[in-house]
Amino acid sequence: MSAPASLPLAGIRVANFGWSWVGPVAGQTLAFLGAEVYKIESRARIDINRTLPPFAEGIASPDRSLQNHAGWAGNGSVTLNLRDARGQDLARRLVAHCDVVLENFGPGVMRRLHLGYDDLVRVRPDVVYVSMPAAGLDGPLSGVRTYGTSLCSIAGLDSITGYDASGPVTMENAFADPLGGIVGAVGALLALFHRRRTGRGQHVEYSQQEGVLQLMGPALMDLALTGREATPIGNRHPLGVGAPHGLFPCAGEDRWISIAVLTDDEWRGLVRAMGSPAWSADASLHTAAGRRAAIDEIHDQLARWTRDLDDLALADELQRHGVAAAPVLNVADLLHHPHYRARGTFIEVRHPLGFTETIYGAYVKASRTVPDVRPGPAMGQDNERVLEGLLGLTDDEYAHLVEAGVIH
Amino acid sequence: MTPPRPGALAGVSVIEFGDAVSAPFCARLLADYGADVVKVERIATGDVARTWGPFPGDTPHPEKSGLFFFCNTNKRSVALDVTTADGQAVLRGLLRRADVFVENQRPADMRAWGLDYGTLAPECPDLVMVSITPFGQTGPCADWHAYDLNAYHFTATGSRYCGHAGRAPLEHGTFSADFFGGYVATAWALGALYGRAAVGGQHLDVSSAEAIAALFTGAQNIGAYAQEGRFERRGGSGMSLVAPARILPCRDGFAWVIALEPAQWDGLRAAMGDPDWAAPEIFRNLFERGRNADIIYTMLERWTLSLTKQEVMDRCQAHGCPTTAVYNIGELVRHPHLAARGQIIELEHPILGTVPVFGAPIRLPDCPGGAVAPAPLLGEHTREVLGTLGGLDEATIDRLTAQGVAAP
Repeated sequence: MSAPASLPLAGIRVANFGWSWVGPVAGQTLAFLGAEVYKIESRARIDINRTLPPFAEGIASPDRSLQNHAGWAGNGSVTLNLRDARGQDLARRLVAHCDVVLENFGPGVMRRLHLGYDDLVRVRPDVVYVSMPAAGLDGPLSGVRTYGTSLCSIAGLDSITGYDASGPVTMENAFADPLGGIVGAVGALLALFHRRRTGRGQHVEYSQQEGVLQLMGPALMDLALTGREATPIGNRHPLGVGAPHGLFPCAGEDRWISIAVLTDDEWRGLVRAMGSPAWSADASLHTAAGRRAAIDEIHDQLARWTRDLDDLALADELQRHGVAAAPVLNVADLLHHPHYRARGTFIEVRHPLGFTETIYGAYVKASRTVPDVRPGPAMGQDNERVLEGLLGLTDDEYAHLVEAGVIH
Repeated sequence: MTPPRPGALAGVSVIEFGDAVSAPFCARLLADYGADVVKVERIATGDVARTWGPFPGDTPHPEKSGLFFFCNTNKRSVALDVTTADGQAVLRGLLRRADVFVENQRPADMRAWGLDYGTLAPECPDLVMVSITPFGQTGPCADWHAYDLNAYHFTATGSRYCGHAGRAPLEHGTFSADFFGGYVATAWALGALYGRAAVGGQHLDVSSAEAIAALFTGAQNIGAYAQEGRFERRGGSGMSLVAPARILPCRDGFAWVIALEPAQWDGLRAAMGDPDWAAPEIFRNLFERGRNADIIYTMLERWTLSLTKQEVMDRCQAHGCPTTAVYNIGELVRHPHLAARGQIIELEHPILGTVPVFGAPIRLPDCPGGAVAPAPLLGEHTREVLGTLGGLDEATIDRLTAQGVAAP
């Protein structure tokens, strides 16, 4: 990808104290839009996401975690030991040169490091300071401890994910994390608009619980208008509108197709695609209400029909008949499917340490401002540029601070 | 509807031509923070969400859909027949004066209506157009007919992370891809708009499927798959190598029980009253507990089943163990934390009466956001908007309404 002369956030500088996955994605979002982003981290407390296997070429190192690099791409890295007062001082001096500060620690952690909003507004009066705690900075649950994977429990999402009303099935990774990084970036951008108009910065707060809570909107309305309390529904339509609406097994190991029928036209297309089997001629199935009443039988019949068919070919065929159907992809398919290949969703990049790796590129295609996506940062890759170039440390001062473990 | 105080996006003019969740949710977030959002709806039927419900008494009514309400607060509605040249001309007139255009129609339809970016750009050079579709504007699946279910399962998320081995992969039970795509679109739209003076208008092509495939499942798996040629699938019960990290049943529901670090495990033991079974020193290692998952979960369940989920959460949290209750929607609506944070808002609607919605997901103390006006009636603001933003005189508007091009 060729970098255009100017990306939309060119000139915006970000100090990203965020860690794990939420914070880095927030920084990445701003970076893909053109901001200059530095993740502040340290070997004194290595980010857990740098320690997760597998590693590039099998060599364990905090600079080689393949899981980590995609989500962190776009962030730079400056390594400061924030447990040392001199490290905190350097961080504050860096913030004086920044427009935006990001952090996703629990409430109070940044203040204890003398990097709270009140501390930083003194060195940068119009700073946009974005906190992204699990459940907000105030309120009875603000001190709650969670992991990204379990955060959806207190946002309700886990209560509606599963096969049926017997109970939830866990989403086995932290969906709330990348989602939260995106929403945190929205918060930073909103505050930048406000700053442009008023000259004022502010302390923006994104409660991760509340970002995920929006996905419970349909359940909220169902409760409010019908009194129903949402429970897991498998792959059925969240409001019970579609029938059939689900996944159906196809030929091969763990192959499935998604089919969603909401309108009579779509149903007629599906019937044609099936070759108008006798069971589908039942007059009760001509209406959406009739299909909803018979959804279990329809699903059984569909599963019998799809079982020996190829999911990719069947999706093409159903699309030709105007039916909303698509293959259910697995991880390998993401890399190989012609649609993602055509869109350049995943790209191979050369890491400065000499290995190649595959990460995601610009997942939104902007017609004029295409970012040049590079690998996730090696620890401290921007130390000299930032600490000498921007903050004006002399070579001697720099060397001394490295020796003292402050630049770490 | 203009909020009572200038929001972060005061002065930003947005036209939305959206159905269901993705584009309406994106435009609602912009409206939450003070943008002037005009929603264009098809004259006869309106946004498809008006037919999806949920409806009071399960009786369909175009002004009583809960999903429509949730995604369209703070907006004005203009009803147009965009299949006619006159209707298209009116919409293009609105777009010439707009800053942002958010839509989620099928690309082929937008081309047929002359509303695709290629056609619009010459007359709207400063417009930021945001298209949010399941598969995006390019690639072999771009014109596929698809709903949230199809998009979501095109991301490998269910295949990799949600569901039991051998059974179908699972969606979250809501419009997960649509909401995620809506958030992503909001971030990029704000970025593009912020830098518009320097780089000009542009088209943002957002694929809901691609956004999740990249940011969530691809981020964590694609580097490993590209290097090792192996990939994993859903297991159905949380983390497999370590324990405890699983949703467990309690007396009245479920709790997400997680204890990984030694201090968290010690906290869990203390919360349980230091039972003998958990005492062995070997169990202080999370992988050792993973190898003994059967006994760990069997014994843990005896404890969790003896308590309510809130009791399990409170006792764990009090001892530094990050376990949380799986709240359902009713519990969230009544939760003192969300009440204290102003996350449950009630609005008055002329036909539905009092309706609750969630507060805005990001808190900006200097320019708060959130819903202040209910969702609009279909075409409620047609005359007002065509006369102001549309620049049309009364006689022209009369002619358009008489011809059925615009709502009366």
